[in-house]
Amino acid sequence: MNFLQSLEISATGLYVQRRRMDVIASNLANIETTHTKEGGPYRRKMVVMSPKPVEDFDKVLALKAEGVKIDDIVEDKSPFRKAYNPSHPDANKNGYVLKPNVDLILEITNMLMARRAFEANIAAIKSTKQMALKALEIGK
Amino acid sequence: MPDKLSFQKTFRALERAISIAQQRHSLISSNISNLDTSNYKAKDINFKTALAQVLESDHEINLARTNPKHIGLGTNSANSIEPFEEKGEWNGYNWVNIDKEMTKLAENNLRYRTATETLLRKIALLKEVIREGGR
Repeated sequence: MNFLQSLEISATGLYVQRRRMDVIASNLANIETTHTKEGGPYRRKMVVMSPKPVEDFDKVLALKAEGVKIDDIVEDKSPFRKAYNPSHPDANKNGYVLKPNVDLILEITNMLMARRAFEANIAAIKSTKQMALKALEIGK
Repeated sequence: MPDKLSFQKTFRALERAISIAQQRHSLISSNISNLDTSNYKAKDINFKTALAQVLESDHEINLARTNPKHIGLGTNSANSIEPFEEKGEWNGYNWVNIDKEMTKLAENNLRYRTATETLLRKIALLKEVIREGGR
């Protein structure tokens, strides 16, 4: 049934947005992390997404309706923030501490966007459900 | 269709409309879930032209195929609906406009429900005839 396919597509959207929230949460939690296992301060992480074809049903494949998937979680290569704090254990010889390249405003905006996208997918699921239920009434 | 009198063209038209609305719904869901996919282009089908095309192809005479390699007369209706890529605006990331997609979702939902409701009432009429005719 085609509706199950629509549900699956929306579900991929929900999943991806949830993972995106995970990444944003990680960025926010580490906004002041000055040293990591790999050395250097924490680097902001980003989610890269790409369309994901829905399996089996050839009809939907022909329609080119696609879900979404996470390709990779990459690191932001932008420069770190600098703060003057000579007494900090991670300070360099000039007294500057490198801080993560996490921008609070950017993360909050991304968070709002992830939330709205999640809600949009929920709306799509609700719509699918309504349609399927309506179809069940045929012949009653 | 068994009986031309009780199952007229309306039934088939409604059936096709429901099927197209369902396929369009799949596409819109796909656009919504790809809201944040870079370079993604929204896809859609034109409900009206798709329905007209499908209904027209219903009139075509279909040749019987005794071998799968035989070539039919026309293309097979429901599978030939080609989605097109929408001419959206570049929003700095991709070509999906969320407001447009949500409106389309609601609109398509309404189309679907209208078609189903009409079909329902049509069946109710038939039922009424059957019940009253037996008296």
